[in-house]
Amino acid sequence: MRKDYEKLFTHLKPAEPSVGLFDRIVLAIQREKELRKTKRLLFGFLFLLVVSSIATPLSWTMLINQIESSGISYFVSTALSDFGTFLLLWKDFTLAILESLPLTGMMVFGISLGMAVFTLRLFLYRKRLLLGYLMQSFA
Amino acid sequence: MDRSDQQLVASYLKGDENSLKVLIKRYLKPIYNFVFRYIGSSQEAEDITQGVFVKAWRNLKKFDQNRSFKTWIFSIAKNSCIDFLKKKKTIPFSEFENKTGRNVLLETLVDNAPLPNQLFEQVNITKILTSAIEKLSPQYRMVLFLRYNDHFTFREIAEVLNEPLHTVKSRHRRALIQLKKLLIKL
Repeated sequence: MRKDYEKLFTHLKPAEPSVGLFDRIVLAIQREKELRKTKRLLFGFLFLLVVSSIATPLSWTMLINQIESSGISYFVSTALSDFGTFLLLWKDFTLAILESLPLTGMMVFGISLGMAVFTLRLFLYRKRLLLGYLMQSFA
Repeated sequence: MDRSDQQLVASYLKGDENSLKVLIKRYLKPIYNFVFRYIGSSQEAEDITQGVFVKAWRNLKKFDQNRSFKTWIFSIAKNSCIDFLKKKKTIPFSEFENKTGRNVLLETLVDNAPLPNQLFEQVNITKILTSAIEKLSPQYRMVLFLRYNDHFTFREIAEVLNEPLHTVKSRHRRALIQLKKLLIKL
């Protein structure tokens, strides 16, 4: 019975989509893909912007405090004021300066500065895309 | 050799862009026809069909590959049609009235009833069948089309329409009885 009805239904003319519909669909999917990429980029950018704008000044303050509390400024000023002694004892001086370096503060500041530079670079390279998306979203 | 839908989905998710195009090509006509039958306008059917494929692409990662892709995409199409019809229904008919109270749309609506001479010309089976099917209720029409035009099983129809299997089977039986009656009358 099913076959008979299937045969009967072959008499019906199927509606034909326009020739360009396939391309339109592929293009719409492509556009969606780009939109999704831009959205991800924008969220990444905003995240980096927030994190780096908070972390950079904080890590800078932390670095300055650590430099002040360590003896590095004392060793450097002694080395500069008495250059002859510094040259004579350069190995001990260098070791003392290296030992007193505020490594944690320097690393944290370096990372947050790197993040800030990367965020700025990201914005400069993709500003048209990011601004375009933002304007489109708020329009 | 033709790859199955599941293979194509898996291949696309692994990064083969062409698999998606093959899937779209495979389902473009059936989905368009399904939507066209539901909506009845070719322009709107094209827009909805485009939306169906975009939605399917968006949710492809969530698609359970143990399920049938065919029923999955047809359910997306059905839901899109329902959403479209709901939106369309929210426009009150009175909005077409102008300031003087004249309803321009009402005045320009065409009477779809065939003229006697047109009826006389409807001698070939296509016309008779089309006319009979058009007289069926949309629910009956959909079940028959899915069964005999799109070659769905009852289980697949139930999945697409989100109805119990026995409801689909009894609806199918009633639709056939009604179709037979209509064909005899015509």
